[in-house]
Amino acid sequence: MEEIKQKLEKILLKVRQPARYIGGEIGSVVKDRSKTDVRFAFCFPDTYDVGMSHLGMKILYGLKNSVPNWWCERVFMPENDFEEKMRENGIPLYGLESLDPIKDFDFIGFTLQYELSYNNVLQMLDLAGLPVLSKDRKQLAPIVVGGGPCVCNPEPIADFFDLFILGEGEEVNMELLSLYEKMKPQAPSKEEFLREAAKIEGIYVPSFYDVSYNDDGTVKAVTPNVPEAPARVKKRIISDLDKVYYPESFVVPFSQIVHDRSVVEVLRGCIRGCRFCQAGFIYRPFREKSIDTVKRETKCLCEQTGYEEVSLSSLSTSDHTQINQLLESLTEYTDREQVNLSLPSLRLDTFSEELMEKLQTVRKSGLTFAPEAGTQRLRDVINKNITEDEIMRTCRIAFRGGYTQVKLYFMLGLPTETDEDIKGIADLAERVLDLYYQTPKEQRARTIQISISTATFVPKPFTPFEFEPQATSDEIRRKQEYLRSCIKSRKIRLSTHVSGTSVLEAVLARGDRRLCKAVYAAWKKGCYLDGWDEHFKFDRWTEAFEECGIDTSFYANRLRSYDEIAPWSHLDYLVSHEFFVRENKKAHAALTTRNCKEGCSGCGIKAECGGVYCGKNA
Amino acid sequence: MAKMPEPKNAGLRIERFDYRVVYQKCGRAKYISHLDLMRAMQRAIKRSKLPIWYTQGFNPHIYIMFPLTLSLGFESRAEVMDFALVENLPFEEVKERLDEQLPEGMKLLSCARPVHSHTEIAFAEYNIRFSADRPPAECMRLFEDFLSRDKIEIEKRTKKKTVNLVDIRPSVNVTRLDCDSRYVYLTVVLPAGGSFNLNANTVIETFMNMYFLTEDEICIERTKIMIDTGENFT
Repeated sequence: MEEIKQKLEKILLKVRQPARYIGGEIGSVVKDRSKTDVRFAFCFPDTYDVGMSHLGMKILYGLKNSVPNWWCERVFMPENDFEEKMRENGIPLYGLESLDPIKDFDFIGFTLQYELSYNNVLQMLDLAGLPVLSKDRKQLAPIVVGGGPCVCNPEPIADFFDLFILGEGEEVNMELLSLYEKMKPQAPSKEEFLREAAKIEGIYVPSFYDVSYNDDGTVKAVTPNVPEAPARVKKRIISDLDKVYYPESFVVPFSQIVHDRSVVEVLRGCIRGCRFCQAGFIYRPFREKSIDTVKRETKCLCEQTGYEEVSLSSLSTSDHTQINQLLESLTEYTDREQVNLSLPSLRLDTFSEELMEKLQTVRKSGLTFAPEAGTQRLRDVINKNITEDEIMRTCRIAFRGGYTQVKLYFMLGLPTETDEDIKGIADLAERVLDLYYQTPKEQRARTIQISISTATFVPKPFTPFEFEPQATSDEIRRKQEYLRSCIKSRKIRLSTHVSGTSVLEAVLARGDRRLCKAVYAAWKKGCYLDGWDEHFKFDRWTEAFEECGIDTSFYANRLRSYDEIAPWSHLDYLVSHEFFVRENKKAHAALTTRNCKEGCSGCGIKAECGGVYCGKNA
Repeated sequence: MAKMPEPKNAGLRIERFDYRVVYQKCGRAKYISHLDLMRAMQRAIKRSKLPIWYTQGFNPHIYIMFPLTLSLGFESRAEVMDFALVENLPFEEVKERLDEQLPEGMKLLSCARPVHSHTEIAFAEYNIRFSADRPPAECMRLFEDFLSRDKIEIEKRTKKKTVNLVDIRPSVNVTRLDCDSRYVYLTVVLPAGGSFNLNANTVIETFMNMYFLTEDEICIERTKIMIDTGENFT
């Protein structure tokens, strides 16, 4: 530690925002290393500013550190300038709390939030001084684990990890570390430990499964090769959110991060079932915290961190069954304490005047909506149950309230999309603009900006669209240009996105184990920090795929049959395959599915999982 | 717009009691930039639950003021922050409650009513320790030579974006110069504050450039802030 600290002294002032690399923040947990038995490096495979905003890390960091003889530390991806200095000065990747090299830790855990962060995992392992391939790390420790949403199909990175954790981590992390603590004194081999770990529900050890392929390149079978590995690994769920651990304090960074505020989780899962949305399915069932719990956690976090802002986190906060009472009760506290309350995930259709009043700060800024598709037909296809009337009603309220900016998010390349649907995006924006002009002058703001932002649709596993082909880059480019030609007003601004990243996402999201070698090859060619436009090198990725004999269109642009065995078929996220097939068929018929609140649609989640609506009115 | 909204806390708590604290900023805390420090202090105050005075505008915020900024990477034994409370609490209590909430490397040294206005700040004293690509004894001799010059001109950007040549020699007042086998040590008093501020880093960089030295390590610590008469500002 002293050695790294001294070396850091010499280089920190030569890099941008050095406060990110030295720790010492309020709320960071520093323990006596001689009194710890299990050390865990919690790595977020992206930069500090992004990673420090991640709620899951805050929860698991606090949870593991609540055990006196375990020590969990934070590790982030260094920016290029700092990485260069680290390598020049022989500084291996270290934990921010102890400044000890993480290669000496017991566990190195990565949270996998998006596909484009995969190569950062390799880069960070390499910076730590470890072989990136699991099979080359022969010793028991460090054990490299992965968790987070991308683990629902971790096959393209299976070769680099020792094990994956499926689903919500609060219980299974404790079980895993306890097992390790118990076995460590007997000095087991890595395989002996992994075999025991594989018995824990929610733990997937990829090396314990063999994958065979058909002649056409699709997966033939995924079979366990040791008795401890279950044929299907089930994700873990916390059934009662009022009883689950929630941190009493956060690490409060010095430098400004993306979400620099207290965050209180109000619910998990989503009742909506938008067919493109992976989060809407893999986080099921819908469970919520009681008002008392949310209130207690809000107060506690605000007091412990000193943040002047708290935000409620969830996939759709307004779906809380008691949202109005919840906000009433919270604003009573936040107003008194001069704390701002923000609700980032409000749904269009529940946005009411009353709600807006509650959130009314003097700074009137923007509204952000995601209609996702430009016509009602296509919104029905994707099961985004929002009507144009609802959009207009909400905007009317917003304009009367003096809002100056409306951001509209759409996707291009959705299944069944036609040019008419694309034109619909422009038309919708025009009608929102008209609405602004119809608002009486003395009520509306002086100026208006409407921004349309389009992303490229990426089909994801565990969604009704997991069978769908992604539109090719050429098609997307044409669609973008067509949309641009449909926009007439200068008050409407369109931003589109380069398609290289979406292609890569699509390949990695539904890829199989054969992609591991391409990931490795691309990393060797210097591909990492792929989520950052300035670092993304699509040409190098293309080269890597070619050299490894991988046809990206096989993964991205191919229509998959319902009975094809998916690379992730041995992973069980509790929502049934039959449900996804049913939903896919309904999508093509432009039929919507009711949300969980209106009635159960039989997605396969069982009542014992604790869902508010599960097992009712089936 | 409909009707002009009232400021959120207009007329709520007008009475204020001013406080000035002096604190040190060392170790890991030296990497906290000035902008980050503002936020860190606001949060520390919030955690301390001191009855802080908020600004009385449309966006009420915690009022804090730093009379003299400290460059990123400098340590200091004499940093000053001003704020106001809505209750007249004893200095000792304010000091204790705020000190408990400061991050590693920062410590409250004193708390009192402000005496001098921040516009009175005229000088600051620094302890500097450095090494370069030549032995410390040689560096020290070169530094003596540097100080023996009649003129040391540096470029200073003006508000009109033009560049002026300024002679800093009269402003550099070295009170100690020493070395051992690893470093050169010096204590220097430099002009500080609104009218003319000279960064300690600038002095060392000018020296290094003039003698074609490459820095190895530089540690700068602010030790005192003074007003025109040489009296302590704090």
